[in-house]
Amino acid sequence: MATTHASQQRPPLWRDAGVLKWVVQIIVLVLVIGVFWFLSTVAADSLAAGGIEVDYDWLDGPANIQLSEGISTVPATMWEALRSAASNTLRVAIAGIFAATILGTVIGLARLSTNWVAQKAASVYIETLRNIPVLVLILLAAAILGSLPDLEGPEEGATDTRFWFDISKRGLALPRVFYADGFYQFLALMAVFSVGIVFARRQLQAKQDREGGDHKVGLKVAGITLVAAVIAWFANPVMGFLGSVFGGLSDAWGSIPRPAMQLVLSALAIGAAALFIKNFLDSRRTPAGLAKLTDDDYFRMIFAGVGALIACVMIWVVVPGLIGDLFVDGLRDLIQWFADKFGNGRGNRPIDAMRPTLSTGRFANYGPEGLTMTPFFAALFFGLVLYTASFIAEIVRGGVLAVPKGQTEAAAALGLSRMQSLRKVILPQAFRVIMPPLGNQYLNITKNTSLAIAVGMSDLVQIGQTIYNKNNQTLAVFGLFMAFYLTCSLTISFIVNNINRRLAIVER
Amino acid sequence: MTDITMPPPVDELAPEPPPSGPVVWARENLFSSWGNALQTFFFLFISWQILSWLLGKLVAEERNWDAVLTNSRTFFTFNYPLEQFARMWFSLGALIVAVGITLIAFGFEPRVRTSKIVQSTIGLGAAVAVIGVLTPVSGSWRLGLIAVGVAIGVVAWLAGRALPDGQTLPFWSLLVGFAVFVMVLVWIVPWGQNEFLDGEYIDEPGTVNITTKQPWTVMMGLLLGSFFGARALARVVPRRILQLAMIVWWVMGPAFLLFLVLRDPAFDWGYVLAVDIPIALAFGLGGGALLYWLTEPVRGEIARIVGALLLGTAALTWILAFFGVVSMLQKIRLSILFLALFALAAATFAGERSVRLRYAGIWMGFVALTHWLITGINTPSTLDIAAPPFIGGFALTLTIAYYVMLASFPIGALMALARTSTLPIFRILSTTYIEVVRGIPLITVLFFFSIMVPLFLPGEMELSELAAIFIGYTLFSGAYMAENIRGGLQSIRKGQFEAADALGLTTAQRTAFIVLPQALRVSIPNLVGQAIATFKETSLIAIVGGFDLLRVGNQTVASQPAFLGQSLTALFFVSFVYWVFAYSMSRASRSLEEKLGVGSR
Repeated sequence: MATTHASQQRPPLWRDAGVLKWVVQIIVLVLVIGVFWFLSTVAADSLAAGGIEVDYDWLDGPANIQLSEGISTVPATMWEALRSAASNTLRVAIAGIFAATILGTVIGLARLSTNWVAQKAASVYIETLRNIPVLVLILLAAAILGSLPDLEGPEEGATDTRFWFDISKRGLALPRVFYADGFYQFLALMAVFSVGIVFARRQLQAKQDREGGDHKVGLKVAGITLVAAVIAWFANPVMGFLGSVFGGLSDAWGSIPRPAMQLVLSALAIGAAALFIKNFLDSRRTPAGLAKLTDDDYFRMIFAGVGALIACVMIWVVVPGLIGDLFVDGLRDLIQWFADKFGNGRGNRPIDAMRPTLSTGRFANYGPEGLTMTPFFAALFFGLVLYTASFIAEIVRGGVLAVPKGQTEAAAALGLSRMQSLRKVILPQAFRVIMPPLGNQYLNITKNTSLAIAVGMSDLVQIGQTIYNKNNQTLAVFGLFMAFYLTCSLTISFIVNNINRRLAIVER
Repeated sequence: MTDITMPPPVDELAPEPPPSGPVVWARENLFSSWGNALQTFFFLFISWQILSWLLGKLVAEERNWDAVLTNSRTFFTFNYPLEQFARMWFSLGALIVAVGITLIAFGFEPRVRTSKIVQSTIGLGAAVAVIGVLTPVSGSWRLGLIAVGVAIGVVAWLAGRALPDGQTLPFWSLLVGFAVFVMVLVWIVPWGQNEFLDGEYIDEPGTVNITTKQPWTVMMGLLLGSFFGARALARVVPRRILQLAMIVWWVMGPAFLLFLVLRDPAFDWGYVLAVDIPIALAFGLGGGALLYWLTEPVRGEIARIVGALLLGTAALTWILAFFGVVSMLQKIRLSILFLALFALAAATFAGERSVRLRYAGIWMGFVALTHWLITGINTPSTLDIAAPPFIGGFALTLTIAYYVMLASFPIGALMALARTSTLPIFRILSTTYIEVVRGIPLITVLFFFSIMVPLFLPGEMELSELAAIFIGYTLFSGAYMAENIRGGLQSIRKGQFEAADALGLTTAQRTAFIVLPQALRVSIPNLVGQAIATFKETSLIAIVGGFDLLRVGNQTVASQPAFLGQSLTALFFVSFVYWVFAYSMSRASRSLEEKLGVGSR
């Protein structure tokens, strides 16, 4: 008994693993913070020696920057320039994600096809393009676009210069589809109708479950939706009254006193932390009482409490003004923005389209009516899409191959048709495998838009670089870069994770 | 001899052989249903259009392929001085010899099925014929290409019929074939002699210059010689030793080629003998003796205490040097730091006499190598190059890719271990690092380092822009490396940990000897994938200011007066070079995976 007693004695402090691991961790943490502190003081010193103070006041200063394209090509302030550049980045990223998904899926399925030509063509595409750096592809696309013939001006005396499609040294022109005046009213009306559509769908599904057989529920629901859309297309002015509703709401929100908002927010932060700790303790509770908590568990709870404390300090001490601006004025402006989209006088088609034209200036160019891709945008877009599609194709192929053959055979044994088995058995399972790496590829497209700088398209990085070359606010600009790209990454991973959770197998 | 009667011929009983032939094949694979036929026509049409458009771009009149032929040296080595070019050939030769020995040391000699070679050759012939059909060239060229393609295909097909089924060729026959192919390229194919001679552009018909022919012949000789030489060597020397030697070479060798051979430091031998060698000897012998003493199992805690003391001393020397109190050679400070790390690890490697001797020996070798390298790097170069760095073009691309992978490996392993550990602060730190780095584009990281590193450096310290970019790229790559290694770590079964604990191993021993080796083996396919990605992404240093392969093609060549505006031509060549390397790497990784049998476990 004495030996057991001895072994239960705590070892001396310098040999106690429980103490040592915390000591080591804290030393490393202090070291990391120390290195950062040291580097930032050195950087601040050398910046101060150059007469630069890191701040964001320059955002409101005049820009004198020319953008290649975007919301405003000659922005008044730096902030406007950056906003316009960021919207260019997002435009390439979103367009690229859509195009690469479609192209990649087609090629991936072609590689799975039993057709020899389709299979070989897809293999050659994939093996060629994914082994060439994306930057080289972008530069190749730019060089090829640059070698195209220049645009010729409209003929003498021509009144109608509209056309469907054109590609030249000046870029690409396509017909443009855009939201017209009635778009938001149309959406609001469709939201109202959707209640009825969901109800109808439930009824139809219940009937099918009751009576058996195939009642073609999907087809009927699609028909009802189409009818609703047609009605909403013409009847959208009905929703014009929402304009005054939103207007009133916005005024009411704007009159909320700021301390009240601060109080609510800090209560929310504390409540969230308390809820987390309570749930956490509940999850550790066993029938025999509270389970033994590890260091890690304590750490998590302390972390939640400290987080709430930091939030309160931020709200009341550090940035009380910002809270008011953001949560009172900001939300008020957001509601007002909605109010402006509705109105009793607005009653037009929700969506409209236009064909591109030629503008008559000293140099021939595409007019503003069509959807025009500048050559820079087109080079970046094609480079990114062609490259990423080769990876997406492999992901799609891998996903379909990952579904065991027995599933197809089981579906056939149940008497499902080929289309039915593909739609209801194979694709849902393949999606589960495809989604995570596909999300990674979307992230890659978004990050690779920063290569725009190589072809001179005004994306966030290019304009950011122009700005810090002008005013030497390098650190501040890099802070903005990080904030922007991390937000994009988090958004995409949030969406992908949500879809993933929905697709996940529900296990017993 | 026997009276066993032969069974009656059963020919009439055998099933009809399935019909075969091109028509049947086409009916089954291309036109089995109307949907299939539609696919055939659709993909044929699309491929036809794209290929003929692309081939048209390649042979268009404004393409001046002399831009590539004349600048081949610029593409691969940028402005490395011609007088010193033997150094470049020596380095390439050393790499080739190392490749040959490595193949043997790790037993990578897959036999090649002849049917596969025949198939690829028929495919090659078909490709040449299709190129002939699709390319908009003059009639005689077109007929010639088609004839050559058909001839290759027919010969290969006949050879395939003549050869017995299932025959394999040894791996060396592929190497010989490759060498013969290169010899044909340099000695027979009439590329034309193009070069800049004293600024004058010279263009003469004929095969390539003798300055290209001779070295390449030597290189191919080295490739075959090293392969067969290593084979003979492997009969005498145990394979483990060969493998160990090759691993050491691949970690240190390229650095020697880069900093000592290519850079050619002008050593001041008097100083080296009086200062550098004594320091190295002191650290090597003194440190070796210390480590030999520390690795004795009875030392126990003492090794850790000595290690911690040395670590403190090392930190002190850095701090004192920073505040300018005591100035000490950087080499000494680094050596104390390394010795501290070796001493800290000593308890993990404690054991019997031979083990301890080996540990001390590894330290001495390490000291010798690092001191030589540091001295070499800090000595001015004899090369006559106006602006650093001394390498450029494809050599720079390869160097950066290789070292980024090598240097990001320890970062990745550490971060992966921290992220999977149970220590919350380590986990949070490494998770933050990994996720932040993976969320931002590489180009912003490279810009940040190329601009900000000079600001972050204290006092008099200086760092070349390329080195700053390299550090940024390594830190970036480390985050991805960590995720790949983490995947391997998570595949380790719990039983392995428990077994290690049951044997009484310490946490460090368990990680170093049980967990990491298995985890790394699992993550090899992903790591190779990352190596290919890193190789491709080195093209981004063209944007931040390095003269790599892409920048040379896109800018240097296209701005030469003789080849103004030939950037598209150069870019086609650049993408071809990238493609050849990336594609062969991915093929090699596939056969490596098969050999390791990772998937089948």
